Amino acid sequence: MERILYFPGCALKDQARGYEEASLAALAKLGYEVKELPRWNCCGTVYSLAQDELMRHVGPVRNLIRAQEEGADEILTLCSMCYNTLRRSARFVEDPESLRRINAFMDDEPDYRGGVEVVHLVQFLEEIGVEKLARAVVRPLHGLRLAAYYGCTLLRPKEVAVDHPDRPEILERLVSTLGAEPVLFPERVECCGAYLTVPRPDIVRERVGEILRSAGLAGAQALLTACPLCKFNLEERRPLGAPRIPVFYVGEALAWALGVREIPAEIGKLLSTGVTG
Amino acid sequence: MDEVEVKAQPKTGMVTVYIMGQAYRVPAGLTILKALEYAGFRLVRGVGCRGGFCGACATVYRLPGDYRLYADLACQTTVKDGMYLAMLPSTPAERRPYDIRKAKPRGETLLALYPELARCVACNTCTKSCPQKLEVMEAVQAALRGDVAKVAELTFDCLSCGLCTMRCPAEIPHYHVWQLARRLYGAYLAPKAEHLARRVEEIAAGKFDGELDRLVRLGKEELRELYKAREIEPE
Amino acid sequence: MSVYPEYMQESIQRVEETRPARMGTNFPRLPLAEQEELLRRYHPDYKPEGKRPLRVGASYGELVPHEVADLLEAYPLLDPEKIELSEVDYDVDVLVIGGGGAGTVAALWANEAGIPAERILIVTKLRHGDSNSIMAQGGIQAADKPHDSPAIHFLDVMGGGHFTNDPKLVRALVMDAPFIIKWHEELGVMYDKEPDGTMITIHGGGTSKKRMHSCKDYTGLEIMRVLRDEARNRGIPVLEFHPAVELLTDEFGQVAGAVVWNLETEEYKIVRAKATVLATGGWGRLHIQGFPTTNHYGATADGLVLAYRVGAKLRDLDAVQYHPTGAAFPEQIVGLLITEKVRGLGAQPVNARGELFVHPLEPRDVESAAFIRECLPPEKGGRGLGVVTPTGMVGVWLDTPMVDMIHGKGTFQRALSSIYRMYIRFGIDPTKEPILVYPTLHYQNGGVVIDEHGWTGIPGLYAAGEVEGGVHGKNRLMGNSLLDYNVFGRRAGLAAAGWAKKARLGRLTLRHVEKFVEELRRAGIPAARRSPILLPDYRGEKTLARVVDLL
Repeated sequence: MERILYFPGCALKDQARGYEEASLAALAKLGYEVKELPRWNCCGTVYSLAQDELMRHVGPVRNLIRAQEEGADEILTLCSMCYNTLRRSARFVEDPESLRRINAFMDDEPDYRGGVEVVHLVQFLEEIGVEKLARAVVRPLHGLRLAAYYGCTLLRPKEVAVDHPDRPEILERLVSTLGAEPVLFPERVECCGAYLTVPRPDIVRERVGEILRSAGLAGAQALLTACPLCKFNLEERRPLGAPRIPVFYVGEALAWALGVREIPAEIGKLLSTGVTG
Repeated sequence: MDEVEVKAQPKTGMVTVYIMGQAYRVPAGLTILKALEYAGFRLVRGVGCRGGFCGACATVYRLPGDYRLYADLACQTTVKDGMYLAMLPSTPAERRPYDIRKAKPRGETLLALYPELARCVACNTCTKSCPQKLEVMEAVQAALRGDVAKVAELTFDCLSCGLCTMRCPAEIPHYHVWQLARRLYGAYLAPKAEHLARRVEEIAAGKFDGELDRLVRLGKEELRELYKAREIEPE
Repeated sequence: MSVYPEYMQESIQRVEETRPARMGTNFPRLPLAEQEELLRRYHPDYKPEGKRPLRVGASYGELVPHEVADLLEAYPLLDPEKIELSEVDYDVDVLVIGGGGAGTVAALWANEAGIPAERILIVTKLRHGDSNSIMAQGGIQAADKPHDSPAIHFLDVMGGGHFTNDPKLVRALVMDAPFIIKWHEELGVMYDKEPDGTMITIHGGGTSKKRMHSCKDYTGLEIMRVLRDEARNRGIPVLEFHPAVELLTDEFGQVAGAVVWNLETEEYKIVRAKATVLATGGWGRLHIQGFPTTNHYGATADGLVLAYRVGAKLRDLDAVQYHPTGAAFPEQIVGLLITEKVRGLGAQPVNARGELFVHPLEPRDVESAAFIRECLPPEKGGRGLGVVTPTGMVGVWLDTPMVDMIHGKGTFQRALSSIYRMYIRFGIDPTKEPILVYPTLHYQNGGVVIDEHGWTGIPGLYAAGEVEGGVHGKNRLMGNSLLDYNVFGRRAGLAAAGWAKKARLGRLTLRHVEKFVEELRRAGIPAARRSPILLPDYRGEKTLARVVDLL
C-alpha cells in the first residue's frame, strides 16, 4: 500500500462527511493508505485570502508545518476550498522574504522549510493514470450524462489551477474513465456566488439559476463538484423553476464506479446497465 | 497558632516590579497578587478566589530583554525582577443567550451564535496566552469542525479569565463559546445516569419517607449506635 | 531538580522508603471515643481562649470566636439617620444577596416558581460567581447508587456533625440530593461518568458509601459556571461590586430589601424587595486564630452581621472547619486547598519519618486534629514529627505519588488537574514527590438558624448556603457544602417566591439598626469597630501607617 498524507478540512468533518468517507474508501480500493494529519487546523478558507495580509497565511502554513513534521513532501486535499487556500499559501511562501516573515511571526512553531506540495484529489487521480483507474472500475457508469461543475476554487487564481483555467478537461477525463458521458456546459467554470449566500442569498439564487439552466440545456442528468459550498448553494439556493439536477461530490462518483459505495437509486435508474452494472 | 505561625516573608531578598509603569520594591518569592498588596494596593478588581479558580486576576507582563507579552494569573505567578505588569479589570465580550432545552448539540449551534469563530486565522496567540496551558486554538478548530465533544474536553479547565479573548486577532469571545459547548455536551452528548433517574423516582414515590421520618425522631444515643453499626464500603 | 531544600528531601527519602510497606494497607479508623479525645486535645475549636460569649443580640451568651464576636458586636458602617430611604433605586419581588452558588440557585428557583427574571435582583460583592462555591474541588454527595440510600447518607451527615445537626435540615439535604444532581445533569454539568452513564463516585472523609460525585477536581467551578450561565440565559439581573451593607425592614418588622454600596463609585443604593435571600457565604477571610484560609477574597461573614442586626438567631459558630490539607509549601500557595479527593484516591498522610499516623479519611476535624498533634512539639503535648519549612510553616507529607501507583499513570493529572497544575507551576511534580500540608481555615460550620425552607424566622428573610447553620452541626463532611447550597438555595428561592407573591410592604426603615446600636451602647461596647468589613486588608503595616484619605 502506498501512503499519502491527507488534510481533511472542517467541512469534510461536518456537513460533507459523506464526501470524505466515499473518497477514502475509493482511494483504499485503489491501493492507497490515506493518513490524516495527526494535528491540523482550518485551512483559513478562501475568503480569508481576499485580504492581502501576512496573518492570513499563518493558518495554512501551520498545516504545511504539520505535514513537514510528518516527513511528507505532499499533502492530499478533497475539498477544493482547502486545496485552494493551502496551495496559494504554499506558493506565497516560495518567496524567501514572505517565508522569513511568517516563520518569525510563528515563533511557537518550528520553521517551515518549504517544499510541501498541496494536491487535490482530481490531480492525484490524474497522476494514477487513466489506465490504472479504468482497470479498477467495476461498475462503469454507462449511460449517465454527468456534468462537471468546476466553480472557482479548482481553477483560479491560475497559479493554483488544476487545469487550464478557462477550458479545463481534467474532470471530464475522469467522468469518461468512470464510464459516464461527460457533458460540457458554458457555466461550468463560473462562480456560484460563494459566501454571498449569507448576506446576499438573492445574488446566489440568480447565479445558481443560471448554472442549473445552463447544465439542464446541455442535457446534464447530474452535477459533480469538489466544493462543499458550491454543493450547498446549488442545492439550497435553487430558484423556483430552475431544473432540479442532483449534485454529487467527485469522490462519490468515484466510489460508485469502484464498487465501494452503493449507487443511489436516482442515479441507478439512469444507467444503461441498471443499478448492479 | 503556636509554633506553626507563618513568618512574614521568605528571606530571599527584594526585587523591583513595575506596576502599571511605576516601580515598587517587593520581596522576591511573592505572587504578583501578594506583591501588589505588599506595595500598598487594596484590590477590588483583579482579585477573587486567590487560588487559581476564578480567573479574576488576569495579568499581562513583559520581562527585560524579551519581546514577548506574557499572560498569567496574578495569584499563581511569582514576581520576577524587572517585570512590567498590568492587570485586566474585566474582559468586554458579548455573550449570546440561548435556551439549553432547545439548543442542538451540534457545531452549527456554536457557529450560529458565534459566527466570528470562522475568522480564526490559526495564529495560536490564544494558546500562547492561556494561563491554564489549554490548547485553545485546537478548541477553536474543533468548534469549526463541529466537534462539540472535543471542544468540551479541551476547554474543561478554562477559568474564563479572558486573556485569550483579549489577545485574539479574530475577536472571538472564547470562553462564552466554551461554556456553550460544555453545556451542550453535558446535557445531550454525555450518557445519562440511569441509576440517578431511578433514585429520583423512588424518592418522589415516597420510598424512603418512613425510614427518614423515623431517623429524624431518634435520640442522639440511638443515632450513635446506628452510626457505629454502619457498613463501610471498601475503598 | 527538586525545589525542596535538602533537609526536606531527606525526609522525602524516608517517605519513599516506607511507601512499599504502606501500599495496600491503612491506618485503622479511630473509634468514636478516641476521635473525641483527639479533638478535645488538639482541635483549635477546643481552645477556650479562642472564643467569648456574645454580649448583645438574639444569640446573647453564645460562644463564638473572637474574630466573629468583634464583627457581631461592631457598629454599622453607615449612620442609619443619614441614609435616604424615600428614594428607591431598585424595586423587586426577590432580592438575593450574594452571587455565589446559593444565591444563583435561589434566583433560578424563584424564577422557576413564577417570579419574572426582571423582578429578581442578585447583588454581589465581587463578580457573579466569585465565591467559595467556585473553588470547591472534590465533589458533591448524593445517595443515588442502588447500594446506598438517603438514610445512610443521613447517618453519615449526623455522625460527621457529632449529632449536633438539625435532623430536619439533614433530612431535606439527603432527600433532595439526587434530584439536584439530576437537575445539574439536565442543565449540562459535566459529571465524571462511566461510558454507560454511571456516575463515578468515590469516598470522602466520613462517608460510609462511595457517593462523592465530581467533575475532575473542578467540581465547584463546573457547577457554578453552569448555574451562572443559566441565570444569564434567563436574564436575571445582577449588580456586581455591590455588597449589601445593611438589611432594610418595614414598619411591621418585615425584612424589605437592603442598602447596597457600590465598591467603585462608593455610593449607596436602596433595594426594596418583598423577600430577601441571604446567600453571602462564610468567614474564612477572618483568619480565625491566625490560620491561613482556602476561602475567596470576599468571605468576610457580612451575612452573619446583617442577619444578626435584624434579629436572626445564630448557631454552631463555635465550630470552625479547618480543612486538614492546606498547602504548607511553597510559600506562594500556603493555605490553598488540596482537595480531600487526593486522599480519596489513595494518598496517605505521613510524618517526617515517613510513618502513617492516621486513617486518610477520618472526618475533617478528626483528621486535622491528628495532623496538629503530629506537628506540635512535645513540650506542647504534640509529637514533634512535622516538617518545618524555610519560612517557618510546618506540615506533614501527603504521599501524592501513591495515586498513580494505585490507579495507573496519568490518573493524578487527569483526575486532579488543578492541583497538578498548581504544583507544577511552582516546580513540584506531585506524581513524583509528596507535598507538604497543614490544616487551613476552610468552612463556617454554623450560621443563621433556618427551617427546612430556608426561612430564618424573620418575616421576609431567607438564608442559604454557608451563611446558614444547622445542616452540618459542628462539622461538615466533604461534598455536603455544594449539596447544601443547591438544596437550600432551591428551597429558599422557592419559599421566597411564595412569600413575595403575598407580601405587602409598609414604609422602609432602618429602625432595627438603630435598636441594635442602642443595645451595643447599653452593653457598654465602645464604638471602636465597624462592620461588615466587606473585604480583608492585606496591605503592609508600613503602608497602612501612612495612608490618608485626601480625595
